[in-house]
Amino acid sequence: MSAAVDCELSLREEQVFLLHLSECQECKDELEEAKNTKMIIKEKIVQFKAPQTLINSIMELTSVTRLEQEDSVLFE
Amino acid sequence: MTAHGDACFKLIILDSKPFTWETMIFEPGRFQFMDKPDQTRHVKPGTKKETLTREERQKQLEFQKEAVVHLNSLYNYALHLTMNPDDAEDLVQETYLKAYRFFNSFERGTNCKAWLFKILKNNYINRFRKNSKEPGKVDYDLIKDFYHSIKDVQNDTSEADSDYFHSLLHEEVYQALHSLPEEFREVIQLCDIEGFTYEEIANMVESPIGTVRSRLYRGRKLLREQLEGYAKKYGFNTDTDQ
Repeated sequence: MSAAVDCELSLREEQVFLLHLSECQECKDELEEAKNTKMIIKEKIVQFKAPQTLINSIMELTSVTRLEQEDSVLFE
Repeated sequence: MTAHGDACFKLIILDSKPFTWETMIFEPGRFQFMDKPDQTRHVKPGTKKETLTREERQKQLEFQKEAVVHLNSLYNYALHLTMNPDDAEDLVQETYLKAYRFFNSFERGTNCKAWLFKILKNNYINRFRKNSKEPGKVDYDLIKDFYHSIKDVQNDTSEADSDYFHSLLHEEVYQALHSLPEEFREVIQLCDIEGFTYEEIANMVESPIGTVRSRLYRGRKLLREQLEGYAKKYGFNTDTDQ
């Protein structure tokens, strides 16, 4: 069921599953519910932005950025 | 436009109007001299940039393109694991340090985000879980506090909708998710929030794909029950179909 929600069924599995769905209301409902649950999580969980200090320190790690920024400033 | 003569300097015109020599006298603001043409655009020997080897530069650029773009996702994952912004920051930092050091062992063409998540998870296990008092126990107050302490100014878009799903608040879903046993929460998070494939998740949690499947199934079912609990609390009738 979860694999169906996530489009992770193999081709064969999907055929069997679809066939089953066509004659089983219970599973049909459950699939809908599972899809819904997935959607809720996707929509409702807030993604936080990483703090600027963290971004900066990661950027520091790859100092190329800094030099290139200097470059482009000079170039302008 | 380069002025000729013996002196080697470059004249830079700052606008697109035609240049005459009178300009130099009457409109000095329109140009400037550069006595050593192009020097600034090239690497001066011995500067910091030159000390970086070509390979290192290449690595840095690639690392930025492949790895640094996932910073926000990693931070959020770290937040979910640690429930503490400072720890999350440390964890992400450590992860990037490690990732950069071992970037050569990253298999090109595979999902870099999955690779980073795996490193972060390992770091987390090594560093934080060792010291935790009661692993697996959920502290609802902590979740609540945590959520409020970090909550963005993000607008709560949940309007008074008749559909109870839409009336669920971020916080409630968040709490429901965190009330699940960790093995369920983890796969749901990796699948639904981060969008990893089953194969990637299986690799990350070091379990077979079949286990990932069944955990997702059971986890979602549990979550669903939790959410219905909230819905009932607020008087929504969950028996009607959606």
